[in-house]
Amino acid sequence: MKETILSVRNLKTYFFTRRGTVRAVDDVDFELKKGECLCLVGESGCGKTVTALSILGLVDRPPGRIVGGEINYDGINLVSCLPARMRQIRGREIAMIFQDAQSALNPVFTIGDQIVEQIKLHSEKSHRQAREMAIDLLKEVGIPSPDEAASYYPHQLSGGMRQRAMIAMSLSCDPRILIADEPTTAVDVTIKAQILDIFQRLKESRQISLLFITHEMGLVSEIGDRVAVMYAGKIVEIASVTELLTNPIFQHPYTSSLIKCLPGITQERERLESIPGTVPSLIDPPSGCLFHPRCAKAMAICREKEPPPVNVTKGHTVFCHLYSAQGMKK
Amino acid sequence: MKKTWLRDYIIRRLLYAIIIAWGILTVTFVLVRIGPTSPADKYLANLAARGQDAAQVIAAVEARYGLDQPIYAQYLNYIGNLVQGDWGWSFSTSMPVIELIQTHWIYSFQLILLSSIFAGIIGILIGIYSAVRQYSRTDYIATFFSFIGISIPNFWLGVMLILLFAVQFGLFKTYYDTSLPLFSLANLKQLILPVITLGTGMLAGYTRYTRSAMLDNLRKEFVRTARAKGLPERTVIGKHVFRNAILPLITIIMFDLGSIVFGGAYLTEIVFGIPGLGRISFNAIFADDYAVVVAITLIAAFLILMINLITDITYTYLDPRIRYD
Repeated sequence: MKETILSVRNLKTYFFTRRGTVRAVDDVDFELKKGECLCLVGESGCGKTVTALSILGLVDRPPGRIVGGEINYDGINLVSCLPARMRQIRGREIAMIFQDAQSALNPVFTIGDQIVEQIKLHSEKSHRQAREMAIDLLKEVGIPSPDEAASYYPHQLSGGMRQRAMIAMSLSCDPRILIADEPTTAVDVTIKAQILDIFQRLKESRQISLLFITHEMGLVSEIGDRVAVMYAGKIVEIASVTELLTNPIFQHPYTSSLIKCLPGITQERERLESIPGTVPSLIDPPSGCLFHPRCAKAMAICREKEPPPVNVTKGHTVFCHLYSAQGMKK
Repeated sequence: MKKTWLRDYIIRRLLYAIIIAWGILTVTFVLVRIGPTSPADKYLANLAARGQDAAQVIAAVEARYGLDQPIYAQYLNYIGNLVQGDWGWSFSTSMPVIELIQTHWIYSFQLILLSSIFAGIIGILIGIYSAVRQYSRTDYIATFFSFIGISIPNFWLGVMLILLFAVQFGLFKTYYDTSLPLFSLANLKQLILPVITLGTGMLAGYTRYTRSAMLDNLRKEFVRTARAKGLPERTVIGKHVFRNAILPLITIIMFDLGSIVFGGAYLTEIVFGIPGLGRISFNAIFADDYAVVVAITLIAAFLILMINLITDITYTYLDPRIRYD
């Protein structure tokens, strides 16, 4: 059993808006192990990004606030740790890559300067050493002529190159945990494969623990070791990737629908599958299981009671009445 | 790569500036001459008192300054002299226009410079603070006073300041004393009221502009990236956000410098009796001193054109995305 590096316990991050309280992350529980890649999967607006931002204490406040739970890293609770300690952790121990490198990089500084800034912030290196390091990093993520690229501004690079630069920047202080928030969503398909390849190599060469956020079930099998499926601010299923994809008997109905939505290349299909209904309002969520209004297998109890976690096999937890003691009884 | 297109651009803009300045010169030149009075009238009043013949005096004066010639001849003559560096003769002060400007420009310059520094530093700092603490009590107070500051006409403010601080409290003199050396504390002290008069509107404006430019950029995603790097809030705001906010700010501040500042300085100089270019041109208008009016208008126009050009060039250095073609 691998050592746990980050554990999130009963995390609740709410947004207090004029229209009501949005329970963006509600009672989320998971662990990230050393050297593994945990994929956080779910539709847009299910709370994946907010979970990631909560870890680094980057949720905009107001309107957002972590109202409960713990995030344990290296013996400290990040939810309550001092701002100064948090700043040391950010970028140096836990780094984050954002979805759209175009807007996540500062348009008025060169790529090199932005990387150098981070290196110098967390180490005693001279400007020259930091610059050399930045160029090496750009090389590592596969940017051609990294020397030149370092003096380019973000707008002078292509989308794929910008995302690589962003990755290079996040790696600059050799973090133990890397949070990647949909790093392939804003780039096109060929670039996507290359970016995934970079992550694959990082996992092997740097022994980095990866929290990989995506809405694409398809990516999970390529990069993930374990997967947590989120729906409407809650985790509905956690399992190893192989278990989740090969053992459909104990799947959460939501996970099954997500997998069904994948366009297959080999199968002939008339049209793409979709899940009926829409993601519920997080201000006024439905009673019981949040997925019941869209679930084909919903029972009476699903409307009434929130499903408890059920350990269906070792390391595979499902939050669904199909497998709960109460649900089975009825 | 950058150097060549920028050089071509500057040359092109300078040519435009000369053409525009020439247009302004022409319009001013004609306008001052179609007025109902003539500089000869002033001579007349003076000399008639000494018992000299009016018609003779008028003819003599007009012949002396070429005013008896048709307007196009006067115009060509003026342009010809100007190209050679001769700005003409000031009738009312009896000295060459160039000398008049050389002695008085510094009074305007010191007023504008000090007001800009005063308003720029304080306005930008309050604006940043207001944006970072949006909707806080300080923000509301700053907003309230900004609107008052923007709304107050500066000549009225100047008169009120004189009445209160100079007349009532006797803290300052009611007029500007030219006998004090320029680089002295006493001179700095007597500039306090004029600087507040001219600077208040600017300060209020800068506060508002800075606040909105900062707010626009505070919501951008790169701010989150900067925080995720572990940067302290000071650097996030002062470097990453401000460096982006400064782009729209520069345009507005420079635009202000052209319109509000020059206009405001003109009125402030009149209210406080500061012998700057504004005061000189005010006197010249009433004295029908053509050459002075035309020269000062031309200088102001040219300065504004140059400020615009400098703004655009500064832009290319501050925002790497900008290219003028």
